[in-house]
Amino acid sequence: MKITLLPRSAGRHINGWTMTSVIGAAAVLLPILYVLAGLFRSPNENWDKVKQFLLTDYMLGSAKLVLFTGFFAALLGVSLAWLVAGYTFPLRNFYKWALVLPLAVPPYIAAYTYSSMTGYTGIIQATLRNRFGIVLPPGTIEIMSDRGAVFVLTLFLFPYVFMITRVFLERQSASFIENARLLGHKPLSVFFRVVLPLARPAIMAGFMLIVFEVLSDYGVANYFGVQTVSTAIFQTWFGMYDVQSAMRLAAWLMLGVISLFVLERWLRRSKRYSATTSRSNPFKPQQLRGVAAWGAAVFCTVIFVLAFLAPIAQLTAWSIQHGSTVWRSGFADLTVNTLKGAGIGTAIILLIALLSSRAARMFDSPLMQALARLMSAGYSVPGAIVAIGVLAVFLALDDRLAPLYKAMGKEEGALVLSLSLAMLIAGYVIRFLATGYGALEAGYEKMPRAYSEASRTLGRSSLATFLRVELPLIKGSLLSGFVLTFVEIVKELPLTLLLRPFNYDTLSTRAYQYAADERVFDAALPSLLLVLIGLVSVLFMLKAERK
Amino acid sequence: MCYVAIEHITFRFAGGQPPVIDGLSLTMSRGEIVGILGASGSGKSTLLRLIAGLEMPESGSIAIDGRLMVDERTFLEPEQRGVGMVFQDYALFPNMTVAGNIVFGLHKLKKSVRQERLEQMLELVQMKEYARRYPHELSGGQQQRVALARALAPQPSVLLMDEPFSSLDAHLKAAIRSELRQILRKANITCLLVSHDQADIEAICDRALHINIRDEQDTPTKIR
Repeated sequence: MKITLLPRSAGRHINGWTMTSVIGAAAVLLPILYVLAGLFRSPNENWDKVKQFLLTDYMLGSAKLVLFTGFFAALLGVSLAWLVAGYTFPLRNFYKWALVLPLAVPPYIAAYTYSSMTGYTGIIQATLRNRFGIVLPPGTIEIMSDRGAVFVLTLFLFPYVFMITRVFLERQSASFIENARLLGHKPLSVFFRVVLPLARPAIMAGFMLIVFEVLSDYGVANYFGVQTVSTAIFQTWFGMYDVQSAMRLAAWLMLGVISLFVLERWLRRSKRYSATTSRSNPFKPQQLRGVAAWGAAVFCTVIFVLAFLAPIAQLTAWSIQHGSTVWRSGFADLTVNTLKGAGIGTAIILLIALLSSRAARMFDSPLMQALARLMSAGYSVPGAIVAIGVLAVFLALDDRLAPLYKAMGKEEGALVLSLSLAMLIAGYVIRFLATGYGALEAGYEKMPRAYSEASRTLGRSSLATFLRVELPLIKGSLLSGFVLTFVEIVKELPLTLLLRPFNYDTLSTRAYQYAADERVFDAALPSLLLVLIGLVSVLFMLKAERK
Repeated sequence: MCYVAIEHITFRFAGGQPPVIDGLSLTMSRGEIVGILGASGSGKSTLLRLIAGLEMPESGSIAIDGRLMVDERTFLEPEQRGVGMVFQDYALFPNMTVAGNIVFGLHKLKKSVRQERLEQMLELVQMKEYARRYPHELSGGQQQRVALARALAPQPSVLLMDEPFSSLDAHLKAAIRSELRQILRKANITCLLVSHDQADIEAICDRALHINIRDEQDTPTKIR
């Protein structure tokens, strides 16, 4: 008979599963809190300058980018979703999934591809000049600007809104829309009076994803010379070597992100429609004819070409023309580095996610719910903030461990952890834990609790139940969690740029550096490889959504 | 001598809420089949989950065959209790065959003994030809028989059945009721069965208990 000194319930709740969740949540939270605490430290001289001359510009720059991109991407995403969900027209079935493909292209790659394509020697101006004798006055297509950044971010992020809204419309809204039609509303009126209000939560969800992506963006803004808080963090860190002020900037950005996060929750709470009937019949689209049908097809095609086909074709052409030079310069090393970092990061993330999603499942307490929510929050924290928080924590750790290093025969003030790959991996884990956790949480939600309970009543321990019953049943979620997380890490730019050890390059950092050094042709091959890897994850998302 | 002794069990889902089960006591003798009748929400499934160790009572104690399962200071995990349970929707592991499901709880037995026990169980529920099928290839009644065989295989001290007929078509009910009664008799098992349908209980059980929603009446009363 088991008699413990702890109260019965405490003994049941303190174990490996829950401890992992607590550690996972703490790991996510610690660097972020560290950054926020920066607001309460006394600023240095440099900060006064930054605050006086630059802070307002940075904030406005970020706000403008977020608002314009969010607006246009939502507009594009919703109208395409409604078109594809509500009507049939030529190529509709193809565009249903093809319009999600732009998500495979990291926006920073699209940025330098487009900027070269639209430049004086780029394919567009060159063709006009050589074939048709048209010389555009300089500045006609000026993509290296705020407008260019909005253009690129919109084209390559709109699928978030498109995908979520389309699925929502197909699954949830059939009877409402059919009723509106029966009640004599014209298509436009149906759209504005029924579809838009109904789909608002879905649109908001996609919109917020885009907002967080834009706030986190460094590659596009920096390449196009747009001042944002994220680029400012880089400049104060690497330009002025002022980590303190960089941390302060990060703290301000973090405050912005937190208020957005709270705002989103609040908006969602106050406006949630739930269907009064649980029976949802599939939505039958209306047939478009003649000009309308072809118009819809052309509209989708234009977007698809701009947001996927054209940049991919261009990258492919460059890769074929210039690939051989890139192969020589340590391409294999790049690939190995990329796969190693992403592999280790993903493995750690999935381990934490697996243990803590199970803990959340076993102990449905408010504490576990809060921990789960914290672990999913990392995704909305921009890479630059995660990076600076991790750096600060690792520097502090090195400081603490200094006596140990000395005992091991290293010189005074040696930096061990903060110059190691471990720091980068820690950054990856914090930033992308949410991706892995989300996949596994979804897997557990789909599995009835009774399976685990049946196993326990059949005399199997909690661990045996996990290994023999639960693990085989969430294999699929584990696989998709692996793919999604792995690809996110492979594509990640700002975090890798900030936290990598000396001379450690990945496909994304090298591609971006080539592009920044005006060697766009050399950037093409690694970029293309990144897009291909990205495609794998998009295909996984599409497959998961079809279920 | 009472084989199952449940004393003054109180349970609530969350602190501050009224208890779902308030001071319930119940005894069963060995080999007895007892039915519990009550409307949904009356806490009858919760009672089974408390006995199985899937929920922890706020107070009270449960002992089976003289062995203490839970009281104020002790809590045996479900796998230590030797209690069998047939779940409402059977919870057959979808990734295992019928045979795989039945031997799942026999991990402590030697391989030859395990095989022998599997044969016995398949014989008992007359599912011999289905041993290699997967749960989704079976009808509702067949699934129920497999779930029963799986729960009985490790020779539990008590069998708990949660709404055994709720997932079955109405016209199959009568036949399956008498079949279930036969199997339970043959297995000579102490069984606690929960249903919202008086006819189920009358057809199968030796004795029935009424459990009422709390604010109508606090303690369960015997009807027979």
